[in-house]
Amino acid sequence: MGIEGKQYDPVTVDIDSEHVAAFAWAIGADPAEGVPPTYAAVYCLGATAPQLFGDSDAAVDFGRLLHAEQEFTWERHPEVGEKVTSQATVTSDQNRRGLRFVTLEADSKSEAGEQLCHSRALFVIRSA
Amino acid sequence: MSAEQTVTFRQEQIAAYARASGDENPIHLDDRFAKSVGLPGVIAHGMLQMSIAAVVAARAAGGPLKLRRVACRFAGMVRPGDTVTFSAEETDDAGRLALKAVNQDGDVILTKGVAEYSTED
Repeated sequence: MGIEGKQYDPVTVDIDSEHVAAFAWAIGADPAEGVPPTYAAVYCLGATAPQLFGDSDAAVDFGRLLHAEQEFTWERHPEVGEKVTSQATVTSDQNRRGLRFVTLEADSKSEAGEQLCHSRALFVIRSA
Repeated sequence: MSAEQTVTFRQEQIAAYARASGDENPIHLDDRFAKSVGLPGVIAHGMLQMSIAAVVAARAAGGPLKLRRVACRFAGMVRPGDTVTFSAEETDDAGRLALKAVNQDGDVILTKGVAEYSTED
């Protein structure tokens, strides 16, 4: 139901050293150890989730949205200087007990098309 | 190896994460807005909590690039001033860590936390 099955256009993100360093600093990671794994919050989830939030068909009330679950799986972590392309699909959209549950899954690939990361996010939208 | 770290959340860190991640939802930045949508005030990003848990997991795994999977449920809200202890503990399965995060009141804020890592050098 809802927008289940909807796929969004791919989005390409540059893995930029300054941006990675700011992210590492904010989470208490050492940028010298490479791109923090959860930088996937930027190149995979963060690149694609705004497409869902800005989609008038999806009608997501951003202020009432909570991130309920998250899973990332990596085949390889990207490196600074790479371009990563991510594409997301709404794999579930359900209403239960006055709450709406939306699952957004995304895959990130390298320029060569190699799989890097899969993200599965569950969002809960509370009723107004 | 297991690892643990205790972090006191500050509004500055939440704001730094908002800028660095691009997630500038006002529920993380604007107390008045957060209250207007029924929250107790601004709350930390779930992804900030998960990111700190993953830093702790990376230490237990022998380096961040060894991580192959991280998953959790955001079970409780974290507010500025809260002190949260994150832990990554070895399980009976090789290459699998149990992730936990508990606040100063003993409330569990991350549940079903798991990290998997490569055991190859």
